[in-house]
Amino acid sequence: MEKKIGVYICSGCGIGGSLDVEALSAVAGEHKAAVCRTDPFLCGGEGVGRIKADIETEGIDRIVIAACSPRVMADVFDFGPRMVLERVNFREQLAWCQPAGEEDTRMMAEDALRMGLVKVGDSEPLEPFIAEDISKKILVVGGGLTGMTAALEAARAGYETVLVEKGEKLGGYLKDVYRLPPSGPPYENLDDFDLEAMRAAISNEPGVKVYTGAMVSSVSGAPCMFDVEVSQNGATCGERVGAIILATGSVPYDASRLTKLSYGTSPDIVTALELEVMFKEGAVKKPSNGQPVGSAAFVLCAGSRDPEHLAYCSSACCVESLKQARYFKEANPQTPVYIFYKDMRSTGNYELLYKQLQKDGVIFVRGNVTGIDDDGSGGLVVTCDDVLTRSPVISESVDLVVLATGMVPTSALGEPFKVAAPQQGAEPAPIASDAILVSNLLNLKYRQGPELPGLEYGFPDSHFICFPYESRRTGIYPAGTVRAPMDYQQAGTDAMGAALKAIQCVEMVSVGQAVHPRAGDRSYPEFFMQRCTQCKRCTEECPFGAINEDEKANPLPNPTRCRRCGVCMGACPERIISFKNFSVGMIGNMIKNINVPDEYDEKPRILVLACENDAYPALDMAGISGLSFNPWVRIIPVRCLGSVNLVWIADALSKGIDGILLLGCKHGNDYQCHFIKGSELANTRMTKIQETLDRLALESDRVKMEQVAITDFNLVPKMLDEFAEKINSLGPNPYKGF
Amino acid sequence: MEPKNILLEMKDYIVEMGAETINWCMQCGLCTNLCPWRLVPGQTGEEFNIRYMQRLGQMGIEGFEDENMLFACSTCGMCQNNCPRGVKIIDNVRAMRAGIVGGGMAPSGLRPILGSCHANGNPWSGPRENRTKWQEGLDIPRFGPDTEYFLFVCCHSCYDPRGMKIARSIASLLQKGGVSFGVIGTEESCCGESMRKVGDEELFQKLAGANIELFNGKGVKKIITTSPHCLWSFKNDYAQLGAQWEVVHYTEVLAGLVAEGRIVPAKKSARKVSFHDPCYLGRHSDIYDAPRELLSSIPGMELRELARSRESSLCCAGGGGRIWAEVPMGERFGELRVLDAEASGAQVLATSCPYCVNMLSDACASLGKQDSLEIMELSELLADSL
Repeated sequence: MEKKIGVYICSGCGIGGSLDVEALSAVAGEHKAAVCRTDPFLCGGEGVGRIKADIETEGIDRIVIAACSPRVMADVFDFGPRMVLERVNFREQLAWCQPAGEEDTRMMAEDALRMGLVKVGDSEPLEPFIAEDISKKILVVGGGLTGMTAALEAARAGYETVLVEKGEKLGGYLKDVYRLPPSGPPYENLDDFDLEAMRAAISNEPGVKVYTGAMVSSVSGAPCMFDVEVSQNGATCGERVGAIILATGSVPYDASRLTKLSYGTSPDIVTALELEVMFKEGAVKKPSNGQPVGSAAFVLCAGSRDPEHLAYCSSACCVESLKQARYFKEANPQTPVYIFYKDMRSTGNYELLYKQLQKDGVIFVRGNVTGIDDDGSGGLVVTCDDVLTRSPVISESVDLVVLATGMVPTSALGEPFKVAAPQQGAEPAPIASDAILVSNLLNLKYRQGPELPGLEYGFPDSHFICFPYESRRTGIYPAGTVRAPMDYQQAGTDAMGAALKAIQCVEMVSVGQAVHPRAGDRSYPEFFMQRCTQCKRCTEECPFGAINEDEKANPLPNPTRCRRCGVCMGACPERIISFKNFSVGMIGNMIKNINVPDEYDEKPRILVLACENDAYPALDMAGISGLSFNPWVRIIPVRCLGSVNLVWIADALSKGIDGILLLGCKHGNDYQCHFIKGSELANTRMTKIQETLDRLALESDRVKMEQVAITDFNLVPKMLDEFAEKINSLGPNPYKGF
Repeated sequence: MEPKNILLEMKDYIVEMGAETINWCMQCGLCTNLCPWRLVPGQTGEEFNIRYMQRLGQMGIEGFEDENMLFACSTCGMCQNNCPRGVKIIDNVRAMRAGIVGGGMAPSGLRPILGSCHANGNPWSGPRENRTKWQEGLDIPRFGPDTEYFLFVCCHSCYDPRGMKIARSIASLLQKGGVSFGVIGTEESCCGESMRKVGDEELFQKLAGANIELFNGKGVKKIITTSPHCLWSFKNDYAQLGAQWEVVHYTEVLAGLVAEGRIVPAKKSARKVSFHDPCYLGRHSDIYDAPRELLSSIPGMELRELARSRESSLCCAGGGGRIWAEVPMGERFGELRVLDAEASGAQVLATSCPYCVNMLSDACASLGKQDSLEIMELSELLADSL
């Protein structure tokens, strides 16, 4: 069927005052659009009505809307799932940021419209990927507070849940816990926790199927199609589930390493967990002689916020120690209790608990503990550099010293999946912070490794600002202390959050939509396998492990694991990976359709490939804020800088474009890339562009990548100007006019 | 450095002496920052750190008994009113002082003061019989069964020549307004507010005990005080000991009389006047409006607020026993107050506390500004305008 393109140019919101919209219709004519109309108020009922009428009467099946930014009015300009629609940004990135009526502004608009027309012509209607034999069950791995809460919440929301716990009974860390910190006003008294009631709630919940004494021995497949093997008592059961919540928790840091705090030198130096068990069992005695404990000292941050041990704060130990100090004060208000701390991080309403313990007469000493010593009479004394008197202080003799050790996530236990063999004679390379450790939690049958990729300290990697629950494996949501250090209350909230994410995942995937950050996207990458060279770059580089391999190294895509970032498309040297509305050829064609004036016009051209997540909105914001930017730039939004294929650079340079600027998110350990590795991969690829430039005998400065956050919008105009100046100083691209 | 020993017994002793909230302190240091000692140069300003002092107290660590530190606080309440933990800082200071003074180690400069209180019932070394000297030439009624108010005149206004003028103007205003009031006379003892603040708990108990017995024996139900210190002590310290009087400051009574038209300031006085809020009237007793209403009632008078006023008022340095301290020129809070008044363009700096009048007058003299700024008690201004 012949493509029938309708072009609709809005002249409202200042566009008409900036551009001669009627004259721009000529561009639509060049590209043989079937219909081209202008409207002073395109998003109004009449404007949209006319488009709908054209669809009816003229059979328009491809639409270019040249009006406001694609980031707004998506609901108004929605003409059904089969419509191929392209939005050309005439408002924020043209009328609002370029001088009205100028020749440069007109040329910019013509190029933008041309690129839109090319893209819409090359795109095809979307056909969502619908999985087979869909399951919407939710697997929860780990039956502690987080796991139990997640399973109950998901089941109560109407989703069948499978709960796998390795212990013989549900409860996790709570099995050893005597009482909980306060959860409600006045936040001064401790809470009781009825673990039996929670276990009963789970066994009475028909939607929850529990495996205890069980492990997940393998997970294969993809969201809505995970095939899980649960091993229990030597037998294996199969479950097909839609999404997974990882709630395997954490373990206390190994106190035997805390030699500076004298752990192991006296039985009366115990860990917080050991003390908790004493209270739980009702046997609080001096371990050395079985006598009652008449005084106690707590040492907080025992091995935490310490580069030699755990560099991070475990966030719950302060409150946990306050709670335990309260145990002593409740039993006997006269008991001397010391708390040695670095910072008292009793956030939110726990401040009131801290205040209560101060009122109870606990001695708080702020500073580094420098020694825990035998005082010669069977007691212990703690020496500390007290920050608040700027002098060392020494406690009176105490019967028990309690070390508040931090949390180590279960995901951090295990050896790296891939270890680079050290070169002969060389030191072994340090383990990469994002390594996958074989921690025996999920045992994924994924080509990139059996568990979730970590970030620093072994916590599962997630986009820490925007998507804390997300892991780098679609459909798998870490929650509770395996995700981040947290207390009981936060763990409960976390469990609910993860349950909701899991539900969202199965619902969206089951109708062929992507989950975050391109939530609702129905496109997915398709592989033209005849031309695949089995180079493994896509399988290796996909940040989400979406692509498996067969034995011949052919990529085996799993569309429901895919986040639609296009990193594979950017990676593929054979350009065989395409989306129906985003492909190497399509963007290449857009670049080739930019009008490049010859060098005597002194109108350089700069191609800006802008990440849709932050950089493109920042450009919009610049326009909204009334800033103006360089008229030589031609902006093409991309899903992620990771989707940028190097061939586009070659396309642009051979076309005569003078410079190419890539605007994307921050990379590194504190990355802000919505696709985690996309920006970093783009950066790596750009360092390799040198070769291409050398071959073309071009300066490497012509290609540059910049990191832009959405809040940097005010810096973007300067960034563009400085790049333009640099390009100017290099002179015109010698390929101009060829 | 040798570690200092934490002594829980010492800490418990301080708590017992009245530092009940010392453990509440989380050592944020807001107190130290708000302290008026930060505003002046000199050794005390450099050494006195209320947060640090409380820290030592919290752990019973030695060092807080250093005189320069322990007796520096003027109990102005700036820190206490702003403490995020609600720590009763002044009680903590008092308790720590009590630990030392109670052990017979009062600073040498305070000993004659305390001795005079023991012997004469006032800190000014004046004989008891001179307590009523200020009344000479006035017909001040005696308190009797039919008298409504007992007028309690601060010892400072009974014995200090400058102070006596204050007592006289207050009494005559009350008389002009037709208030039923009377004094008891030579049997009265010092309220003991400052004695308690410097840590002489025993002396305070003696003075308060005597006064309670005397006042109750005379059938006192309502008291007007001339000084905000006596006001505060009767309302708080004495209430703890069981006293149940209705206690008001004279400014509150006079403000009522003016509002009712029972006294009418008629004489025009086209002067620019600033009001210095006494700590014990403002921050401690929450009385800010009555003195301002009185000033505004004087025809022609222009009230110029000081930059630091009401809750943010800066202490004159006379509270907490500091009225008896020797402070080098240039380090006196009162000097800052005089400069504040100058900056606001005032010709008169008025206040309503005998201690403040004393401290501000000294400061004005030490700065040599007596010609441009007059320090006056509010009652004097008002009496002049009748």
